[in-house]
Amino acid sequence: MGDSILDMYLYETNTLLEQLDGILLAAEEADTFSEDSVNEIFRIMHTIKGSSAMMEFTSLMTVAHRIEDMFFLIREKSMDIVPEQDRPELFDMLFQAVDFFRSEIEKVENGETLSQSIDHIVTKINSLIDKIQGNPPAPAQESAPAAAQEESAPAAGLEAANPDYLFGIHVFFDEGSGMENLRAFMLVNSVKDYCGDFITVPANTETDPSTSDIIADQGFQLWFRTAEDRDAAIHAMDGAGSVREYQPVDAAKPAPAPAPTPGPESPKAQAPKQEAAPAPKPAAPKADAAKPAAGQQHPKESLISVNLAKLDQLMAVVSEIVITESMVTSSPDLKGLRLDNFTKSARDLRKLTDDLQDVSMSLRMVPVSGAFQKMNRIVRDMSKKLDKKAKLTLIGEDTEVDKTIVDAISDPIMHCVRNSMDHGLEENEADRIAAGKDPVGEVILSARHTGSEVIIEIKDDGQGVDTQYVLSKAIRQGLASPDHEYSQKEILNFLMMPGFSTNTEVTEYSGRGVGMDVVKKNVADVGGTISISSEWGKGMTTTLKIPLTMAIMDGMEVSVGSSIFTIPINSIQSSLKVTAQEVIHDPAQGEMVKIRDNFYPIIRAKELFGMSEGCDNIEEGILMWVESGEHSYCLFVDELLGEQQIVVKPLPNYINSFGVKNYGITGCSILGDGSISIILDVINVYTAAHSTY
Amino acid sequence: MSQAEEMLFATEDQQEADRYSGQPAEIASEKYLIFSSDGLMYGIKAEIVKDITTDYTITYLPQVPPFVRGVINLRGQIVPIIDIRLRLGKEPRDNFCCIVVDADGSEVGILVDMVEQMVDVPLNAILPVPTSKSQAVVTGMWTLPNGNTMLELDCELMLHG
Repeated sequence: MGDSILDMYLYETNTLLEQLDGILLAAEEADTFSEDSVNEIFRIMHTIKGSSAMMEFTSLMTVAHRIEDMFFLIREKSMDIVPEQDRPELFDMLFQAVDFFRSEIEKVENGETLSQSIDHIVTKINSLIDKIQGNPPAPAQESAPAAAQEESAPAAGLEAANPDYLFGIHVFFDEGSGMENLRAFMLVNSVKDYCGDFITVPANTETDPSTSDIIADQGFQLWFRTAEDRDAAIHAMDGAGSVREYQPVDAAKPAPAPAPTPGPESPKAQAPKQEAAPAPKPAAPKADAAKPAAGQQHPKESLISVNLAKLDQLMAVVSEIVITESMVTSSPDLKGLRLDNFTKSARDLRKLTDDLQDVSMSLRMVPVSGAFQKMNRIVRDMSKKLDKKAKLTLIGEDTEVDKTIVDAISDPIMHCVRNSMDHGLEENEADRIAAGKDPVGEVILSARHTGSEVIIEIKDDGQGVDTQYVLSKAIRQGLASPDHEYSQKEILNFLMMPGFSTNTEVTEYSGRGVGMDVVKKNVADVGGTISISSEWGKGMTTTLKIPLTMAIMDGMEVSVGSSIFTIPINSIQSSLKVTAQEVIHDPAQGEMVKIRDNFYPIIRAKELFGMSEGCDNIEEGILMWVESGEHSYCLFVDELLGEQQIVVKPLPNYINSFGVKNYGITGCSILGDGSISIILDVINVYTAAHSTY
Repeated sequence: MSQAEEMLFATEDQQEADRYSGQPAEIASEKYLIFSSDGLMYGIKAEIVKDITTDYTITYLPQVPPFVRGVINLRGQIVPIIDIRLRLGKEPRDNFCCIVVDADGSEVGILVDMVEQMVDVPLNAILPVPTSKSQAVVTGMWTLPNGNTMLELDCELMLHG
């Protein structure tokens, strides 16, 4: 089996499941399914069933098949046939099914074996189907198969005694056609015209009206000695009235326990056969189903899916082109030459490469809505589970960010939303009302651009962070020292320290030891920052700031000794020369400089990085005043080399394993002359400097 | 032609016989690249050697162990450079010969004194290291045809050990 087929399958199924999730959430809101969404769900299930069957993922196929059956009913009879009181159950079941699909797909992705225990979910679907059809409710239905087998003991016994009758037909009559036993009897009579030697389950339908329910419930079975007999009987089916669906069934072994093989409670066995059987009649409704589905033009039609690796490759090539272009046009060989035509062409080339870069960057941009929509589901599930009323408001879900960033922030966002639901919102509605708030809690998830970065905020209107509690806990855990005054900001930062979890008990959703520190790490991995702000009683806000594109950036080249460092342009405020008199010393040998009525610390790159070369005299070098996040300081370097667009290359993993990131070394880039410059991360340089001094 | 076939069969028979007599087939040998550092001969499997270069500039990286001399630009690839002398606690020397190997999926350059030769080493002839102290980067020994001793270098151990 080709991996590409599997990839396609996973991609397609995941997309469908996401679509389904969206439909379900919207439908639950409205407490009904619109005709469109019923059709849509039917189509989705049909597609999943078909492709899963193709991939031989039987469990997925079976469940999809049963749901498809159910929506077939709903589609025929409209949503009205689902009684009001059963609707929550229907939605829950569907969400469960989606989760089931997800977990199975995950197993497929990880190459694990699929779970075989799908009975509980199938039973659930079956009982719902029964309810929809107005049959006895679930408990009775669950015992029904057993009871039915008991009732039809003669037939079952007969078959067990006669393992010759191995070729069966499983017949379902039209719903609500009534008097199923007599219809079965008529069917038996018409089959008798073709061949005489067969048995039925249940038997004696003519005389026993109670078989009617069993037939409506589980269908009517006819068992023949040979396949030829059965094929002949199928002709009779085609002519018979009221037959909704039938399917040939083969008993598995010569002496089977016949009970589990036939009957809808074991669709595992029957469904694949139904798929395989080219029986004309069941195919008909499906063809009908497929037609409107195919007719529905999807807005996504103009999209194609591209392997992300190819886009990465494209990005890499484009990046190299951008660099090579600047290498060619600013080649030292051209110095002092007057080349009008060359300069003109070089300018055109520059413009084109810029365009090329923009386009190829935009290829990887996807709206954050995908990641955001998933949160709907989490808020819904948690609000049910924790019995907290909450709604999720999404703002700016059209904001586009790089695909890798979306993937990387999806988990952190989820974690923050869970935190808000679990710890943020008040336990009781009464508390909220007492605080003068809307009894329904609100979680706001917003995304917006600011020039060079995208800002994602997860905000709740809950009780906020109890800073005293956090501080005392931090002290207990040895993260904070008891005799130090901490600012509100510092206290909130404890939340993101490894090993800190305010929740005393482990809940299903949070407090599993994976805390905000992991969120912080995930965000840092894509070059972003995270900050928490909170007001007691009003709620808390988690803000993620993530640089928009990581691949290419504008940087300022500076030198220290023979090494070249790159500082991101957008964190540079200005550069300045100072005299020795302007430098202010503090008792701890720290140096500061006053710029526009504010004091800023000076960090010497040479000392921080333990380098042997470079200026020591503050008057010979230059100060780079940088700012990022809440930190603002001056970095002392030897010389300013100039601004350049650079392609960020990650450092080899081996180098990263020494923790150079903590010293503000985030990556490197290859300069025009082939030498390497080290890209500094302004925030981590500051943290490193303050932990060493 | 038929003679050749006979030869072929003969060899196979021979091998078959070898196998039955408990001797591994002769083909179980591997190419090793021999290099010298501080008077000792080291060998690494030739299949992991990606490049041998003398034309590079090392960019110093702060906050890494001293034996990691920095990174080089190898045709657009950023490759870390390890000085084997420093790794083994010897005096550094100006070395220009760099063997780029693929260790654990990532490329790493090793600074050595000189690259000597390629040899075929029968795998079953590599002997275990008698002492456990040899800086824990050598996993086997073999006597070269010229009488010198080759120490089999384990790149993983050298990087992470």
